[in-house]
Amino acid sequence: MGPFPSDLLHTEKSGLFLALNANKYGVTLDLSSSEGAESFRKLAATADIVIENPPPISLEELGLGYESLQQINPGLILTSITPFGRRGPYKDFKATDLILYHMSGHAHGLLGAVKDPDKDPPIRAGGHQAEFVGGLAAATATMMALYGKQMNGQGSQINVSSFEAMVTQLISGLANSAWGRPAPPRDLAMVEEAAIGGMVGAIGGILPCNDGYVAISPREDAQWERWLVVMGNPTWSTDDRYSTRDVRQKNSPSLWKLLSDWSINYSKHEIARLGQEQRVPCFPVNTVLDLMSDEHLAHREFFVEMDHPEAGTLKYPGAAYKLSNSDLPLTARPAPLLGQHNQEILEGLNR
Amino acid sequence: MNQLPLQGIRVLDLSWIIAGPTATRFLASMGAEVIKVGSARRPDPSTRGPAFQAYNQSKLYVSLNLSKPEGLELVKRLLAISDVVIENFAAGVIERLGLGNDVVRAARPDIIMVASSGTGHFGPHTDYVAYGSLLQHYTGWNSISGHPNREPVTGGLWADPWVGMELAMVTVASLNNRALAGDGQYVDFSMAEALSACLPEAVLDYQMNDRVKDPMGNRDDWDAPHGVYHCFGSDRWVAIAVTNGSEWAALCGLIGRSDLTSNSKYATAEGRRQFQSELATAITEWTMQHEDIEAMRLLQQAGVPAGPSQDILRVFQDPQLSEAGYFNRVKTRDGEERDLPGLPWRFEDTQAPILTEAPVLGEHNDYIYGELLGLSQGEVAQMVEEQIIY
Repeated sequence: MGPFPSDLLHTEKSGLFLALNANKYGVTLDLSSSEGAESFRKLAATADIVIENPPPISLEELGLGYESLQQINPGLILTSITPFGRRGPYKDFKATDLILYHMSGHAHGLLGAVKDPDKDPPIRAGGHQAEFVGGLAAATATMMALYGKQMNGQGSQINVSSFEAMVTQLISGLANSAWGRPAPPRDLAMVEEAAIGGMVGAIGGILPCNDGYVAISPREDAQWERWLVVMGNPTWSTDDRYSTRDVRQKNSPSLWKLLSDWSINYSKHEIARLGQEQRVPCFPVNTVLDLMSDEHLAHREFFVEMDHPEAGTLKYPGAAYKLSNSDLPLTARPAPLLGQHNQEILEGLNR
Repeated sequence: MNQLPLQGIRVLDLSWIIAGPTATRFLASMGAEVIKVGSARRPDPSTRGPAFQAYNQSKLYVSLNLSKPEGLELVKRLLAISDVVIENFAAGVIERLGLGNDVVRAARPDIIMVASSGTGHFGPHTDYVAYGSLLQHYTGWNSISGHPNREPVTGGLWADPWVGMELAMVTVASLNNRALAGDGQYVDFSMAEALSACLPEAVLDYQMNDRVKDPMGNRDDWDAPHGVYHCFGSDRWVAIAVTNGSEWAALCGLIGRSDLTSNSKYATAEGRRQFQSELATAITEWTMQHEDIEAMRLLQQAGVPAGPSQDILRVFQDPQLSEAGYFNRVKTRDGEERDLPGLPWRFEDTQAPILTEAPVLGEHNDYIYGELLGLSQGEVAQMVEEQIIY
């Protein structure tokens, strides 16, 4: 899966593969051959954790399922990530990121309400957000199982449903449903409180700038007062239509026009800086280009650089956390080449 | 039957609103004893609606006024008997409250302190005022979604729930490290970085090809057809993703257009991408004759990845969730039986996770002040009077 340099498919240069598999070792095994299965068993016997994400084929179908592995390694944790888990009417259904994003309710919220829902369908988020959530759920559950193992020596068999992981991102919406609340409408005409910039129920949205957009949310009255300072206390600000949060919400279309007429004269970074100086929640609407030159991320050394034998020197997103007592091995090694560690790891098994 | 893996862990939860409480909900439901600290002086803003019920399932809730010096002393006594403390105030707030890492560590040297804020706890923009919805813009997360040549998307509830799960993950990772190495941890967590880490494709594409790609709606860089197609009924859509030649042939067969399979124009993913719009017309002729759920069933039977685009109420009613055992039916304190959300994982041969209704402020004061801290009823009454337990 892409991106690839110059958009040319290459087995060792998939950007997504390189990012997801950095700091791992890589071996190749044909699990359908008896030799490959034997090597796999030997590896699993020494492992704390085995993770799989079928389809197309599961360890169970290969005769290498939990019960078989547990016989050789009683404390093993086996985590299986599947689109819908191992139970329920859709358990054998196929899904991709697109399907999961739409089925789980996320796509209905992403665009916000639209003028003509029958012509402007829900859309998914870019990238592979649904699959990342399935992966994060699996990492979280596996960490928990590992703690249980450290305390009690117990192994675990864990089944993760990517669909349920996506749904669990929206537990607030599920609770609203459980308490009998309707789903938020997608039809702009049915949205009771006028929204500015698509955000319903909170005063905030995006403003056009001379080089893009800035997102602002001066929702509390005190924040609004400080936002007016940023704008140089325009004469309309004392108008009754904009004096309280309630009336600002009600009159947001005309208010948003006034804000936009002002913001278009400035750059997104300029407004964000002026706003934050007044402690107004506001940020530039950034692209990856902005991220790669962001001074805050640079100072925190968020991006990490690695040299890969085929793909060259590239920067990768690092971890969202710094640990005071552990150095994270974020640049231990670039993603492995296909079968790069066969000798080191597989031959070691037979010694 | 295994016991829940986090049994025996105690978490002092100073967090509020969404991200922090989401993290501790995961910990509580997997066996940890989570003590949520709150005060009537400054109630958790999410208390206003049902969302609070979801974010705070399975926890204990103690009332404690942090603005009083005696309240601070009570927190320190609770820290001394806790394995984890978690907070998600704006950077600098916990230090101003008198509960910075040094104070916390003095109360319990091997504690894991998890601190989450918008942009992390050091760096030039540490003090930036942030909401999750704005961070989705700052981090580029929203920039990869939407339609080309339209305003950026402004919806999408992603930052807080995603961060919540990642906070739970890094907390338990730190517990694992403590079990191995014996020492605690201070975790400086940046919500912004958690979101920027979700864009590896865009970050690598920018470096490899010197380009910032436009968002592409429901379309994909490679696979086609790949989108949502209007079904019978108002605002009803089925998502279809064809990922290989056999799925393509199956789709054409199902919609009665086997002629498309034999047309060499559409034989490769590249060709199908190029003519995506005309293929959409052909597919929609079929989908318009079916309700979205029926379309999904027929497509899945034919081996084509498909599913309806649902709003949250339809997700709540989805038979896959109820039949897979996702929900937990709980009698809530208003006397109603309700299906409360569950967890995205099943630990086989393990005790069922704990998924009770959210507590109310002060519900567990007796247990926490009486049993855990050994305060007498007289002492507690005095502190209630002085608005320390408040």
